[in-house]
Amino acid sequence: MALASAGPTRLRRMTQSRWAPWLYLSPALITLVVWIYWPLFDALRLSFYQWNMLPTSPQTFVGWENYARIFALPKFWQALRNTGVYIVGLLPLAVLIPLAIAIYTHDLPEKSRNIYRAIIFVPMIIAPVVAAAVWRWLLDPGYGLANQMLKGIGLDPVKFLSDPKIAIWTVIVITGWKLMGFSTLILSAANANINPSLVEAARMDGASKWEVIRDVRLPLLSSTVLFLVVMTILLGAQWSFTYINVLTGGGPLGSTTNIYYLLWDFGFSTMSVGWGSASAVILFLGFGVVAFVLFRLIDRYSFHDN
Amino acid sequence: MFRTTILASLLALSAAVPVLAQTMAPTIDQPVTITFYNYNLATAGLGAEATQKLINEFMEANPNVTVEGIGYSSADASRIQADLAAGLPVDLVQTVFSDLDFSVNNFGAQALEDIAPTDEITAHMSGMHPNGTKLGVLNGKTYGLAYTFSTPVLFYNADLFRAAGLDPDAPPATWEAVKAAALAIEEKTDAEGFAGGITGVGAADWLFQGVVRSNNGEVISRDRTTLKFGEPEAIEAVTMLRDLYDAGVYENYDFAGALDGMASGHLGMYLQTSALQGSLVKGAEGNYELRSAAMPRFGEKPTRPNNSGSALTIHTTDPLKQRAAWELMKFLTSEHGYTIITSEIGYLPLRPAIVTDPNYLAGWIAEHPLVAPNLEQLDRLEPWDPMPGPNYRQITKTLMDAVEMAVFGGADVAATMADAQANAQALMP
Amino acid sequence: MTTEALARPMARPLRRISERSGLNTAAGHVLMVLLSIFCLFPVYWMLASSFRPANAMFETSLWPTTMSLDNYTQAVDAIPIARMLFNTLVFSALSTVFQLLTGILAAFAFARWKFPFDKLVYTAVALTWLVPFQVVMIPNYLLVAQMGLLDNIIALILPNLAAALAILLLAQAMRGFPKEVMEAARMDGARNWRILWEVLVPNLRGTIASLAILIFISTWNEYFWPLLLSRTAENSVVQIGIQMFMTAEGNQWGPLMAASTLASLPVLLIYIVLQRQVVQSFMKSGIR
Repeated sequence: MALASAGPTRLRRMTQSRWAPWLYLSPALITLVVWIYWPLFDALRLSFYQWNMLPTSPQTFVGWENYARIFALPKFWQALRNTGVYIVGLLPLAVLIPLAIAIYTHDLPEKSRNIYRAIIFVPMIIAPVVAAAVWRWLLDPGYGLANQMLKGIGLDPVKFLSDPKIAIWTVIVITGWKLMGFSTLILSAANANINPSLVEAARMDGASKWEVIRDVRLPLLSSTVLFLVVMTILLGAQWSFTYINVLTGGGPLGSTTNIYYLLWDFGFSTMSVGWGSASAVILFLGFGVVAFVLFRLIDRYSFHDN
Repeated sequence: MFRTTILASLLALSAAVPVLAQTMAPTIDQPVTITFYNYNLATAGLGAEATQKLINEFMEANPNVTVEGIGYSSADASRIQADLAAGLPVDLVQTVFSDLDFSVNNFGAQALEDIAPTDEITAHMSGMHPNGTKLGVLNGKTYGLAYTFSTPVLFYNADLFRAAGLDPDAPPATWEAVKAAALAIEEKTDAEGFAGGITGVGAADWLFQGVVRSNNGEVISRDRTTLKFGEPEAIEAVTMLRDLYDAGVYENYDFAGALDGMASGHLGMYLQTSALQGSLVKGAEGNYELRSAAMPRFGEKPTRPNNSGSALTIHTTDPLKQRAAWELMKFLTSEHGYTIITSEIGYLPLRPAIVTDPNYLAGWIAEHPLVAPNLEQLDRLEPWDPMPGPNYRQITKTLMDAVEMAVFGGADVAATMADAQANAQALMP
Repeated sequence: MTTEALARPMARPLRRISERSGLNTAAGHVLMVLLSIFCLFPVYWMLASSFRPANAMFETSLWPTTMSLDNYTQAVDAIPIARMLFNTLVFSALSTVFQLLTGILAAFAFARWKFPFDKLVYTAVALTWLVPFQVVMIPNYLLVAQMGLLDNIIALILPNLAAALAILLLAQAMRGFPKEVMEAARMDGARNWRILWEVLVPNLRGTIASLAILIFISTWNEYFWPLLLSRTAENSVVQIGIQMFMTAEGNQWGPLMAASTLASLPVLLIYIVLQRQVVQSFMKSGIR
């Protein structure tokens, strides 16, 4: 790599600037192509076949059948709707609250700032399955601590995980509980990267604390915030996967099934390459379109910012 | 890659020439290594130690054979699929009964009749309960030998029964009695009345098959070509469950919630596989009296319980490895093998004689009365039918989703089940 | 923070505002404490339960009424947890280093140059996020098997050599880096390679440290890929060990909580150490 940037003459500079980015990119790109894109393109082809992945078995061409069957799943539209609920529910937990925490703790004395941020980060380090298991324990209608407390103050026990109206919100809160530390860390880092002289200058001009936040910090944090929003929209369905899987299995009555879980349930976990591949393609293209739109929006936004 | 090719051609050969009677080597005259894919080995506790102990004993007795135990998750067999696709040797597998059809048609499970000498099979199976040996029979051939399996039992909390004014010595034997007892428990105690692994999130279809059969219906026809869970007997059974739910006594728990609820003493009755006995006893110890009864029946119709659990299937096509796998299979399902399986892993002994034999299980059974209803049900045991074809898992999911909607979701029972039957039938081969 | 301490004396005329913000701060502290309890309690529960004996598992007392180390001895007996922790540490550390390395290089390409298809490539990198792992899992397994790397820790790391999160976050951070500084360095005759390692990377230490924490933790918690790869407990990672206590026949709560506690401790320590590093690098950049 060092060789690539070692060309004093004009000509070499030209070729260098043509090839240099690709050289810098190559380790990452090769990894992503070999381990992700290659199998994905294979999946695109296999989504039109029925196959059990064994070299001894024939690959039977079935056309659009795998897709048709997935779209015909009775829970498909319910799962799509739930995916939206997950995203809407996760946004405050994954973006708004962490943003408030990052800004608020930034101005605290070093000690309390570190303690708060460390505490908020702790859920991140617990293995997702264990986190799910512990939460189910705390929320159990019979022996769970949460309901013991509710009973203690004279309320009826809440079926956090087996009431179809409540379960999805329980899963959202648990997913958010696990995520908050991640977003807080990223936002805190971005917030700390803000040039202090900007804040100082605003303060000299007599700006109040709130005005500093509104006029200096928030605009400068906007790209990070957008980044987190995009991540939540695109990955919210995947993030909640473990909790759905361990806590509710998509139920009761499909009320916590999102699109990712549904396709996992009917596709990836069934040893049928066709269903699994078609599921992958649907997820990839579906979220890909969403991503495309979002990235375009961000592009435009950051252009204005400059 | 070389190995892949060999395996591939061998598999291709075995597919092309289906009946090569008794292909296995007569003896093990040279060192051989076989793989044993086992889901107990993927756990800590729960059977892993006992399984390894059995494997070690076998290797000691057969110095020529090395058994490589490989743990895999019973929830999905993708490890086996991946290893077969990668050309790795898959020789002996602990196969969940519901996967048996797929295992035969895709993973190359071999019929014992095709690979082992008939007299050896007959000799080994003598002393086994005939209801047990037929569990692994598919299309007239024995592909799997029942290994770790059990039947549904009604666990109940005797302390809650007393608190509710019920007689713990007369547990409910019919579904009406279950409903009455559950109502009493809900009314007089803080606990929930009844839960079961029949339906709900994460439930497999084995217990549902038994419930429908006990009402003289079928989930799938005997020749496994037509789904029948939308027919009147099945609908009647589902309606009964719905009635329990509507009466407020049937809790819609997920599996782990129900298990922990029972273990912690917050549930009156729990219909589930007897294999859970160990986990439940641990929670009950010192807290409440745990008892068990047979599966409830519909009115006067005798129950037709079926099994959960796994069979052993041989996949290798190498004559020597087949012999080694068969010897291991015989060892694991011997009097001694079932003694360990029953007393240390918690499943049913397929050989009824060892139950009263002081050399084997007699002492243990006397100390563990909870297993009695389970043993008694062995005489009426029927197979857990695997759904056929490449879409078998989707068929099961479609069925179980419909049952959940019909029981807990307020959906119209008959219409929901009929719809699901039509949808699932389209996925049949 | 230092900058604020410096700024405070100058802000004296705005005393009323800072008094009101003192009240706000108090309210903020109350909220933060509540939030902290919400974050910590389940973790505390895991810890407390790991000391409860088997028949007291479902007690709801805040503190275990009887303490026992049985769960820990059981957990250590049942799985080779020290070996698993070591494997996990190697797996996570190497994945973190490589993802940062490939991420820094790739991000620099995006931040430094405009080149044909740069937007497309950037999008393609971002889109790898959307590929469900389950669909690439078995093809990757077959590839690893062809390389003869089954049951080998190298196979665990290979697909983790690069990841979209590192590339995108770093690219964003580098784009936000003042162009003048980079230009100035270039004027001084510094080549790209040196600009990257001597100007950009030291200044992005905060971002890099945060990323390191995130990558390390997500690798530490990875489950599906190690599950498929490991054939023996000795060569597998601690997440697989934890799951061995969760079975179709119920969870063994005690050992599960004990094993989870053991698995979480190293990550917590690493976080605390790196967190200090993050803060320090912020301070430095603050003084600049």
